[in-house]
Amino acid sequence: MTDILTLVFRTLSSQTGQNKDPSAGPPPPAPHSNTLVVGEHRLSRSVLLLAAVTAASELGVRVAFFAQTQIQSLPECLQRCSKITFSYPRTLEELLQQVASLHEFPCPPSLIIIDRLDGFLRGAVASSHAGFHSGDESRAAHLAALLCDTAAFLTEVLEKRGSSSAPCRTIASFLSDADSGQESRDPSAMDPILDVLDRYFQARCTLDQDRSYEAAAAAAQEAWHVYLSGTKIPDDLEDGPTLAQEWKLFIFPEGLMEFKLV
Amino acid sequence: MRTFLPAVAEQLFRDIQKIYEETTQIPDDLLIALKFVFGTCALQALDLVDQRSVTCLSSPSGRKAFQVIGGSGRLYTCFLSCHYCPCPAFTYTVLRRNQGLLCKHILAVYLCQAMAVTQQESISDQQMSAVLSGTGGP
Repeated sequence: MTDILTLVFRTLSSQTGQNKDPSAGPPPPAPHSNTLVVGEHRLSRSVLLLAAVTAASELGVRVAFFAQTQIQSLPECLQRCSKITFSYPRTLEELLQQVASLHEFPCPPSLIIIDRLDGFLRGAVASSHAGFHSGDESRAAHLAALLCDTAAFLTEVLEKRGSSSAPCRTIASFLSDADSGQESRDPSAMDPILDVLDRYFQARCTLDQDRSYEAAAAAAQEAWHVYLSGTKIPDDLEDGPTLAQEWKLFIFPEGLMEFKLV
Repeated sequence: MRTFLPAVAEQLFRDIQKIYEETTQIPDDLLIALKFVFGTCALQALDLVDQRSVTCLSSPSGRKAFQVIGGSGRLYTCFLSCHYCPCPAFTYTVLRRNQGLLCKHILAVYLCQAMAVTQQESISDQQMSAVLSGTGGP
């Protein structure tokens, strides 16, 4: 999936003074990687939407986009795009059912996007001191494994049909407790749900806001660091090329987004 | 199932498959290797294999999943391409403590596949969706 993200970043990179050589920098991992986007929701949703549009328009693949909350201001071009299907399951159970039933579709998607996994996984009982409860580790693993298995199955289907849309990829966003700014949480503690998700998502895209003066220097409203990395894999497992890319994202007052490869 | 296994485990299953095809038995050295690699769940998994507890469900779309009848009689659904089991041992030992590669149910699936003793069952696409989502089963 990071190949699609890299395509998004290159498409939106500056036209001047930017090396657009596809061979620049380390190669992205095998395209069948599942990618987890971690960071602030406002930006991660934009990244997911850009990925959906890029995949549908540049690669011509079908996209299944799942979100818990309806996207209120969907651009008209997206509303009219027949290659992207938006679904709004309200609960984890509904999401599991909808992902599990993708194999029933005659024209399966090549890209499955889930916006805000944390929203679906968060326990039903509100708690003032913890976002997740012990049972959520199993639920997180179930959802992630279902995504993984569904993508693997749909890849086989697409390859058997000789479709150029193969393989099927997944990308999901997750707002960890650290990113949500839970002050009561020990900042040195790892997020157990993120640990579980890392087992099933081979690559990670981390969005980290730059709070220095770099945005102002670029006459931008916001500046972000975007890191593409591979999650840890046991030493004796066969793995692909190591992924390590860094991009800089500038967001200008009129909403324009510009990526630069670092 | 593919991926998520260390090379030593994959080789072990290949060895078991080969020897079982020839002799319909697993020799002591491979049993010892199983215990060494997978710990205490190896014997428990072999019990499940003996009881023919593993079924491969398939539906008209081609989608497949495994169901394992646990020691208590409860059904556990496992996937083909990655490790997941809804049992407490997988959640605690594998996910939370990171002290094991898999639980006895997933190991039983690997062993049944290697020994070609997996039961087969066909279900509808809708039933398969219910099984995969954990909302139902055959």
